[in-house]
Amino acid sequence: MLIRRGVMTLACALLLFTLPARAQPAQGSTIDTIVKRGTMMVGMATFVPWAMRDKDGKLIGFEVDVATKLAADLGVKLDLVPTAWDGIIPALLAGKFDVIIGGMTITTKRNLTVNFSVPYDYAGSSLAVSTSLQNGFKLDALNSPNVTIACRRGTTACSNAAEYFPKATLRQFDDEAAIVQEVLNGNATAFAASEPLPSRSAAQNPSKLFTPLSQEQELNRLPAGMAVRKGDVDTLNVLDNWIAANSKFLRARRHYWFETQDWRSAVGG
Amino acid sequence: MQLPRLPPRTARQLSSGRLLDVGVILGATALLGVLVVRANVVLNHHWDWSVIGTYLVRTDPATGAWEPNLILQGFFTTIRLAAWSLLLGTVVGAVCAGLLVYGRPALRWLSRCFVEVVRDTPPIVLIFALYFFVSSQMMPLLGLQGDLTIAPGWLRATVAVVLAPPDRINDFLSGLACLALLAGAYITEILRAGLQSIPRAQTEAGYALGLRGWAVFRLVVLPQAVRNVLPALAGQFIISIKDSSLVALISIPELTYMTSEVSSSTQRFFEVWLFTAGLYFCVCFALSVLFGRLERRWRRA
Repeated sequence: MLIRRGVMTLACALLLFTLPARAQPAQGSTIDTIVKRGTMMVGMATFVPWAMRDKDGKLIGFEVDVATKLAADLGVKLDLVPTAWDGIIPALLAGKFDVIIGGMTITTKRNLTVNFSVPYDYAGSSLAVSTSLQNGFKLDALNSPNVTIACRRGTTACSNAAEYFPKATLRQFDDEAAIVQEVLNGNATAFAASEPLPSRSAAQNPSKLFTPLSQEQELNRLPAGMAVRKGDVDTLNVLDNWIAANSKFLRARRHYWFETQDWRSAVGG
Repeated sequence: MQLPRLPPRTARQLSSGRLLDVGVILGATALLGVLVVRANVVLNHHWDWSVIGTYLVRTDPATGAWEPNLILQGFFTTIRLAAWSLLLGTVVGAVCAGLLVYGRPALRWLSRCFVEVVRDTPPIVLIFALYFFVSSQMMPLLGLQGDLTIAPGWLRATVAVVLAPPDRINDFLSGLACLALLAGAYITEILRAGLQSIPRAQTEAGYALGLRGWAVFRLVVLPQAVRNVLPALAGQFIISIKDSSLVALISIPELTYMTSEVSSSTQRFFEVWLFTAGLYFCVCFALSVLFGRLERRWRRA
């Protein structure tokens, strides 16, 4: 009797876990859901100046402008969902939001789990190196077991650093502020990150950091795309064509956020 | 009350003992000072604490009134998470401990399974499992979030104050469930230890006085059991409050998550995190003081 009760409990628990899989059929395309709901939910993580918090705690940045215009053109409201970068792809797959517009570069590996729109932006990963190495610096100097390179977990810059400097120790952190601080403190020799962080940090701390690579010779330059769940042609088609039709807008916004400092006073610190 | 006068030798011993105490405290302070100075030299950091004020409160652009900004919003979310998870965790712990001690074999077994599964697996796994399975798959079936979007304004406002903004309630509840289960598993074991620490003779004495089963439990066993485990319970409550920072992983906007947002946006890493550590300290210390008082009062009783 007792055993049977236990088995029944187990069966119920199992049923509860298998039920959702069947209860979530492919319900048409995401873009239909967005329009029907009247709200587009966009996942993004904090990366200066793609997305960050201004003094009022509101999200601002290049991606915020892009998402705002996209939502306006679709005629829906915008719901920004700030998400930890580490779990942003699983969160998309789990349906926490409709699309990632978060400076996500298109890599083959990521492309296996999500679909990307055509590129609407690009991100170049670069380095900022401790000035202790500045005299007669060669890039090869970083490929040494004595070197520690800091980077943000899960970023393309991290994989680039591992690829170009296989002998160096990679130290990964969960946010950008930490990787800059690590080099300033002398615990790491260099950090790898998307521009403009390396050049900006070097400009702010000229006695501590320098950038060995000019903007033209970055470690890597990768296209950034909007990410959606796989197998959704309708949504991809809308995004692709929106990007094609808004190239002028995108260029202007990129200029504002990446090449000017006009927005700097909006952020504290 | 008149204290007896101490003989001279004892007084001298006492004062040399006090000198030692003063020495130890001075030494510790000096060590701390050296550490702070060293840290400042090594860090070579230009401290700028203004960022705290900026992200603590903001002024409403329309009315000019003060309202909480990111850090304070995160702090309130942490308080809500902590309060609910401790409350629910205590209920879970009390039920499971009761089952472990008094339950029939199947229930005892279930309760033991729950405790061991939660206690012996990394909390991060539990958090992600609940977030991706429960919050993403099962909660939408319940339709709570959908119901709330069409609920009357006063209900939405109440939910926002007591729990979380209605449009993010699923994530909040899955994080909360996880914290409550975590706390519950540990509290189960603490309460079980308390219940089992009461000698059988106490129960028998209760019966001998003519009390019935439930009355014996409520009047004889429970008060003593809880009093015995109060320090352990205080420790677990404090740990649970700090554990609430784990749900930052699933982007629940509590204090730790908001702090990382602010520190990433402003690059004011040390200032923001040190301040946040201070906030956690205040809450945990307050709880610690509260439990200390409770302990003293119940010891007298």
